[in-house]
Parts: sequence; structure tokens; C-alpha cells
Amino acid sequence: MKILVTVKQVAALDDEFEMRDDGRDVDEDFFEEDLNEFDHYSVEEALLIKEAAGDDAEVVIVTVGDEDTDDALRTALAKGADRGIRVWDDSLADADGVAIARVLAKVVEREQPDMVFTGAQSSDFGSAVTGMALAGLMGWPHAAVVCALEYSPGDNTATLRRELEGGLEEIMTIRCPAVLSIQLGINEPRYASLRGIKQAKQKPVDELTLDDLGLSADSIAPASRVRRMYAPEKGQAELITGSAAEQASRLAEIIKELRGM
Amino acid sequence: MFSSDYDPENITRILFRDFPTWMLIVFYIVAVIAIGVFLYGVWAQIRKYRRGVRSGAWTPFWPRFRNMVGTVLSHRTVKRRARMAGSMHAWIFYGFTLLFIGTSLITLDQDITGPLGFHFWYGWFYLVFGIVMDVAGVALIVGLLYMMYRRKWLALPKLDYTRPDREPGDPDYDRSGYRREDWAFLWTLIIIAITGFLLEASRVVWLQNEAIVWDVRWHAPVGTAIAYVMMGLGLGPEGGGDLRMGLWWFHGILALTFIALVPYTKVMHIFTTLGSLMARDPEGKRRMPSVDVDAEHIGVSHFSDFTDKYLLQFDACTKCGKCHEACPARAGDYPLSPRDLVLTLRELANDTQWKSAPPAEPVRVIGEGVNMVRPETLWSCRTCAACIEICPVGIEHLPMIVEMRRALVEEGEFDPMLQPTLRSLQKSGNSLGESKRKRPRWTRKLDFEIKDARKEPVDVLWYVGDYASFDPRSQKVTIAFARILNAAGVSFGILYEDEQTAGNDVRRVGEEGLFQALAEANIELLDSCEFKTIVTTDPHTYNTIKNEYPEFGGNYTIEHASMMLERLIREGKIPTPVELDYRVTFHDPCHLGRINGDVEPPRQVMGQLGLDLVELPRNRDNSFCCGAGGGRIWLGDPPDTKKPAELRAAEAAGIGGLDVLVVNCPKCLNMMEDGVKGTGNEDNFRVMELIELVEEAMGLSDDPAPDEDDETASETAASA
Ligand SMILES: Cc1cc2nc3c(=O)[nH]c(=O)nc-3n(C[C@H](O)[C@H](O)[C@H](O)COP(=O)(O)OP(=O)(O)OC[C@H]3O[C@@H](n4cnc5c(N)ncnc54)[C@H](O)[C@@H]3O)c2cc1C
Ligand code: SF4
Ligand code: SF4
Repeated sequence: MKILVTVKQVAALDDEFEMRDDGRDVDEDFFEEDLNEFDHYSVEEALLIKEAAGDDAEVVIVTVGDEDTDDALRTALAKGADRGIRVWDDSLADADGVAIARVLAKVVEREQPDMVFTGAQSSDFGSAVTGMALAGLMGWPHAAVVCALEYSPGDNTATLRRELEGGLEEIMTIRCPAVLSIQLGINEPRYASLRGIKQAKQKPVDELTLDDLGLSADSIAPASRVRRMYAPEKGQAELITGSAAEQASRLAEIIKELRGM
Repeated sequence: MFSSDYDPENITRILFRDFPTWMLIVFYIVAVIAIGVFLYGVWAQIRKYRRGVRSGAWTPFWPRFRNMVGTVLSHRTVKRRARMAGSMHAWIFYGFTLLFIGTSLITLDQDITGPLGFHFWYGWFYLVFGIVMDVAGVALIVGLLYMMYRRKWLALPKLDYTRPDREPGDPDYDRSGYRREDWAFLWTLIIIAITGFLLEASRVVWLQNEAIVWDVRWHAPVGTAIAYVMMGLGLGPEGGGDLRMGLWWFHGILALTFIALVPYTKVMHIFTTLGSLMARDPEGKRRMPSVDVDAEHIGVSHFSDFTDKYLLQFDACTKCGKCHEACPARAGDYPLSPRDLVLTLRELANDTQWKSAPPAEPVRVIGEGVNMVRPETLWSCRTCAACIEICPVGIEHLPMIVEMRRALVEEGEFDPMLQPTLRSLQKSGNSLGESKRKRPRWTRKLDFEIKDARKEPVDVLWYVGDYASFDPRSQKVTIAFARILNAAGVSFGILYEDEQTAGNDVRRVGEEGLFQALAEANIELLDSCEFKTIVTTDPHTYNTIKNEYPEFGGNYTIEHASMMLERLIREGKIPTPVELDYRVTFHDPCHLGRINGDVEPPRQVMGQLGLDLVELPRNRDNSFCCGAGGGRIWLGDPPDTKKPAELRAAEAAGIGGLDVLVVNCPKCLNMMEDGVKGTGNEDNFRVMELIELVEEAMGLSDDPAPDEDDETASETAASA
């Protein structure tokens, strides 16, 4: 019995930053790296299932990223996951969610897990594509933004709850294996102590290349490409209060100001 | 006095006169059983302690022993903040000890040296002995009577054992058993003492016709006085003899029962406290226990993780309630009392560790079960060390709490509010979730450059600290301190982006791995810089660099800002032309005052500034924590609790006509401003950092003009 959890190392932006010379991303000096907030929850969910089953399940963490992303992997391992897999090739530098999903699909084929968890989205790019794209590539049942889950290792189905627009919720049963993208708040993630993270270095991590997965750089071409990244000019807002007459005169003032009168 | 008519060998007490043989046999059987029960209890308790991890806390033995004897004989720690009760306890202690030694001497003479043909308990020795025993008996009774009065009529809240960490109805809520035990103890002891005197009196009545006894009767003055009363009431020698026989048995059996019960009841404190005082770590309040972070497992989650020292300390607590009274968490109705924590662990130890075989499964100590320590109890602690400071028997509650927190941190399960803070500390070395790059941003508000201590040598390396760097209110103080140092012409520098928190709170919250990583990184950085001394405005940083970094190879001379300011003012480097006409009071920061004993420098500075200082009722070593320490500043306060800062603000408000509540720590500033607002005192008095007062006295306050020199400073002052 095996649960595979995909995790991403994300960038947390400083409040003052500069763009990269090519204008397509922030200069990496200006952000700090961290495990994606959502992935704390998906890892926790997998661990809770494992613990409820008396540890009778293996939790495998997968990340696609260079050596620096080992930190994210180790954080997840420190929490109690059994082993890790890190896939990297320099051609993945510009990968989008779909490209990542292609890589992950190969890992899933290799590992044959009974369940795959991803975060609902990543806290830096927030496109919320990867998990669902992975499900599509595998042809597996999927549910996005899961906020409650009932599942025990070995079950053929899982019961889950999703929040819908307009305050609705739905409860659904899903066939396993499935890909679920996990929403914040589904549980209370545990903390990984620095000591635990260091000791997680002893846990096995497979470092795989595209070759190992039978992929070529061409087969993972991103479906999209960032052209420019920039901080839009700040707009202004002012709440005008007072009587109707006061509001009108303030409005007139602003118009005059803006027209430079 | 006895005349030389008597052979001194005959001047003694005929112990078993008129005892038929069977009585003697019965007596010796009872005595042997009592001693056997006593010895078994002692052995079983020691066996319990030996199940802990060996701490080596009793080595080196002799210096520790001497220290302990000094503390016990002077009763210094018992008398502290409880003069009367402490003195009365000393009376009981000395009375009991002398009587115990006296009885042991009789046994020695009668049963050990006597049979070998050597007797000493007669003649002059016997007579002096009699007087000493009477004085000891009176001291014991007076002390016990006072304790009865104290329990019954003073009705001190700290002695009612109501526990804040359980709800009424919980199976382990009721602690009235302790109260009954206290009374049983007092009554038993006082009855033993009184029957001792009655026995003495009845012997005088009984043997009044034997000149050798009667002539020396005043060597048992109390007994003899009582004997006169008995005779006045018509008791004759025969009646006296019967009474003596009855009392002899009553007194003897009661005393033997008392001895037998020593290791099973609160009486054991006469031994356990000695062991605890000897093992006491004098650095316990400053330095948290060191630990190998590469070990398989750290912290305390099960009994088998406790050291033998802590296991003994659970049994050493006398329930005096001094820590209970001093604890800010308890005062704010948080579910923590250091005493109850210790008693909980004692009870759990007795429930699970008493049997001859150690428990098959390790016994967990943290959890929701009966007599387990609740996680919320552990998270309530401010690590203010008020408990360790005042405990008369050297119990180290704070390190115990930190050890248990370590286990919780390793398990990763604790208040979700703490997680973002710890993650921020892991990522960027500060607790405020800010980036490293932002740390020195406050320096932009200065009109001069602060030296970069990473790049050039400085005299003074200023370790700024987290709150002082990031918290907007504290930044004002930080800027003020920079201006003061600049105006005083001090060559100083900071570590800019590379400074990380020193780690005092990280260690106390239980994240030991992170603390050690921070300490090692900071030490490496400091060692790469050239400086003579370190200064910091933050007492937490001060404590950790001073007391905890040496363990990791960081040995520095560090001063708190208050000490440096005092010196600079004294040396005339800081002119203070502006007269400050404030009535102030001072809130001692725990990590400066109680924990490091640096209570004078801030007061000296206030004296130098001519401030009218009125002390708070609780000051110096008895200062009351603002509530920030031990990571509590990162956690919210549950609704049904009172914030320690508000309790403290109310205390300050009790001082009439106060202008300023002076604090001397960035975290105290943050907490006390809230406390003053929370109690509606913001119109009555202000909260100011000592540094701000110095800045104001220098006339630097509101005029950050460039190239400010002393002259312009005093001009500003004149116009102010
Ligand atoms: C504020 C907001 C509102 C939105 N509203 C809507 C809406 O109304 N309707 C709608 O259709 N969509 C909406 N979306 C977008 C939608 O939620 C996402 O498009 C969708 O969920 C797809 O995920 P993603 O691309 O963000 O995930 P990604 O960010 O691509 O993926 C997140 C997860 O994928 C995995 N992953 C990503 N990269 C890696 C890697 N390198 N290695 C291993 N694992 C990785 C991790 O598990 C991670 O947690 C909204 C998004 C946001 C931010
Ligand atoms: S350190 Fe302070 S808050 Fe913690 S238990 Fe002791 S007295 Fe209470
Ligand atoms: S722990 Fe110390 S201070 Fe607290 S009640 Fe026990 S003996 Fe007294």
C-alpha cells in the first residue's frame, strides 16, 4: 500500500525585489524558498492515513526540482514520510504545470501508488494545474480542492468533500487509485523540527533524470511560456465619506486634481 | 545540680525499668519492623529514581554537599520572602533534628556501645542532654503551633492546592488529600512532642522519692514544671508510674510509626530536599539543559527520559506554594502552576514507577490522561524563572518544561500559531516572518552610517535582536540607541543582513535543533568579525550569548545596553542637559534582573537622569514577568485568561501620580504598552524604554538633524 505525494519548493517574495535581467521572473536573490503551503496539508493527510493504519502504508514524496529543492523534500520526509524521489534535468527550468505533470506521470507509472495527493495549487504561481493534469495524463479519477477525506489503505474507494462556489459543498465517492488535490485546512499539519529535517538526510531519496524515466527534453515541452513578469503600476483608491454634498465636492476635487487643473 | 554523693554513672535514665521481659521483646519487635518498613521505603524510592537517566548531578560531591549543608543550616531559601514561616520552620527543623539526634544517641548508648561495655549517656552529659532536649522540644512545639495557626487562620491561597490545570470533576482535580496529610503530619509531630514532655513529667512524679532523680529534676525543666502541676492535681508516685508506662508505649509506638512512614509520606522531604539541593544546577535559570541534537531522540515524553535528578525533585517538593505564587502563568489563570506540574509528575511516578519491576511499556508523561501533563500546561510557561528562583529546595521546573517542550516540538504537534514563527526562524533567522534582507532596514532612518562589523573592526559589536530590528515600536528605541552611541563617539557596528536571532526563545520553546544551528551560525559569524565587546538592548539575547553560547564555543564579553549607558553617562560621554521631571517606576526584565542579577544598572541610569523612582511592589529578583518569554509572545492568549502584562500594568497603576512605567527590553515594551492600554491606563502613564529617557535627557529626541553635535543637542534641549 503506497501513497504518493507530490511537493513543490516555492518562492516567497520579499517586499522589495528586483526582476531578473530577462524580465521573465524575479531575481532569485529576492526570494526565500519554502515548501509549498498546500503541500504541508497533503503530506499531513497522507501521514494521518498511514498512522491510522498502524503505519501499514508507505508514503513516498516526489518533487521535480534541482538540488536546492532537497530542502522541501527533507521537510516532508522529516514529518514522517518514508522515502523521497527527486527528478531533475536542466531542461525543466522553464517547465509549467503540464510539463511537470508529464514528469510526475512517469513517476506514478514507476511507483504504482494506490493514491496520489498534490496540493490544490502552489503558493507562488497558483495555477492549480499540475495535479489535475497528472490525473488527465494517467486517465485516473480525480478530485480537486479536497477539504475532507475518508480513506484507509487498501480501500477501493475514498469518500471526500469539496467546497463549491456560493457556499455549497459536495460529498463524492471516488474510485482508487485516484489523484486528489488537497485544500488548505483539511487538517493541522505538524511541524518539522530542524533536527528532524537534518536527520531526514538518512532517509532514502532516489535522484532520477529524465532518462531514468524514459523521457526526453522534447517530450516535456511546456504548454505555455512566461513572456514578461512585472509589477503593475499601483492604482489608487479612496473611500469618500460624508454627506452627499461633501462627497460630490470631494469627487470634483479629485477629478480636477487628476486633470491637473 | 548533683552533689558528689552520687556516682555519676547512676545519674541516667533507667530506660526499661519495671518492664517485664515480654514487653521488651514486643518493643524490639515493633522497632525492628518499623525500621524495616522505613528501609524498604527508602530503597523503593531510590529504586524509582535510579530508573531515570543518570545525570551525574551529585558530582563533585563535597562542594555540593557543603553548599547544601550551608543552605539547610541557614534556612536561607526557606526564609526568603516568608520570614516568619521560614523562621518557624527553622525552629521545627532544629527542634526535630536535635530530638532525633538525642533519641539516636540513646539507642547508640543502649543498643550498640552499651552491649560492648561502653556507656556515655550518664552524668554531666545526661544532664546537659536533658536541657538541650527540653529546649528542642519547646522549639518544635512552638514551630508546629505556628504552622497550625498559619494553615488554619492565615488561610493562604497558595496552601489550598487548587490546581489551575484541571477542571472540577476531573478525576485528578481533587488535592484535598494533601491538606489532610499536612494536618496529619502536624498533629502527629506535635503529639509526639507533647507526649514526650508528659512522659518526662510522669517520670519525675513517679521517681520523686529517689533523691538521685529528684535532685537533678531541673535538668528537665519543662517536664519538671509539668510534674509540679500533676502533683498539684494529686498524682502520686504510683499513679505517675502507671502514667509513665502508658505514655511510654503511646509515645514510642507513635514515634516508630512516624519513622516507618517517612519514605511514604510528605515527611520524606527531610531527605529528598537534601538530595535536590545538592543536585541543584546554579545555572539552571540561565542555561537550558544541553543535549546532543544528533541523538536518536531528544526531550522528555516518557518517564524513562527524565534524569534521576528530576525524578528525585518530584519527591522533594514541599508544596510550599512559593513558585505557585510567583508564576505569571498561574496568576493569569493559565493552566499552569509549577508546583502542580511537579506534583502531577510525582503522582504519575507513584502510580507507575513504584513497583519492583519497571513498567513493561514506557510511560508517557504528556497527554490528556490522569496525572499526565497537558500540552497546554507546557505551552503556558513564560520561562521567566520565577519558580526556580524562589523554590527553597532547588527544584528546576523551567528546564523540565523545556525538556518536555522539546519532545512536543520533535513530534511536531503544538499550537498551530507557533508553526509559522518557527518556520520563519528556520528560513530567515527571525521570528517575525520577515526576510533577511529587511533586518537592517531600520538604519535607513538614521542620518549617519552604522559601521558594518562584518567588514571593518569596531570596538563594540551591537547585536540588535529580532524585535529591536523589526517591531515598529521597538525600532524607535533601536534608532534612539544608535543615536546615543553615535553622539557618545562609540566605535560600533552591526551585522546587517547576516544577524539572526540569538535563539533564547527558540531554545526555550523547545526547538533545540534550530537553536543549536542558529548558535553555531552566529558564533561562526561573530568569530569572523573584529570587536572588543558586544552590546545588546535585548535581555534575551544578552542572556543567551552570555550564558548559553560558551557551550558552543562562543566566548564573548557582552553588556546589556543599561550597563553601557550607565558607564557612558558616568564617564561624561553622554551629557544629559535636559532635566526630566518624571515620577517613574521600573519593570525589571526577567532575563536581566532575576535571571542575570543585573538589577542595578538600569536603576543607576535612572538615578543619573534625576528621575524620581518609586519601586513596584514586586521588583528585582521578584519582578513579575510581562508574559512575553518562552515564545509566548508568538502565541495568542485564550479568552478566559488574564494577560500577565495587564496584571503588571495594574500593579504600576497602584503607584499614585506615576508619569512613566520604564521598561528595558524590546519585548517588555511591546507587552507592557498593550498591558497599559488593556487596563485603560494609557491616559494615566506612559510606557517608555530606558533608552528613550536617556535620549530625551540628551535632547536628541525629536531632532534628527544631520551632524548633530553636543552643542546643537543642548540647544534643542534649551528650546524644548
Ligand atoms: C485565487 C485563485 C482563484 C482561482 N479561481 C478559480 C476558478 O474560479 N475557477 C478555476 O477553474 N480555477 C481557478 N483558479 C485556478 C485553479 O485553482 C487552478 O488552475 C487549478 O486548481 C490547477 O492547479 P495549479 O496549476 O495552481 O497547481 P500548481 O501550482 O501547478 O500545482 C500545485 C501542486 O502541484 C504539485 N506540483 C507543482 N509543481 C511541482 C513540482 N515541481 N514537483 C512536484 N509537484 C509539483 C504540488 O503538489 C503542488 O502543490 C484559481 C486560482 C487562484 C490562485
Ligand atoms: S518559568 Fe515562569 S511562567 Fe514558567 S512555570 Fe516558572 S514561574 Fe511559571
Ligand atoms: S516546587 Fe519548590 S517552590 Fe514550588 S511548591 Fe514545591 S517546594 Fe515550593
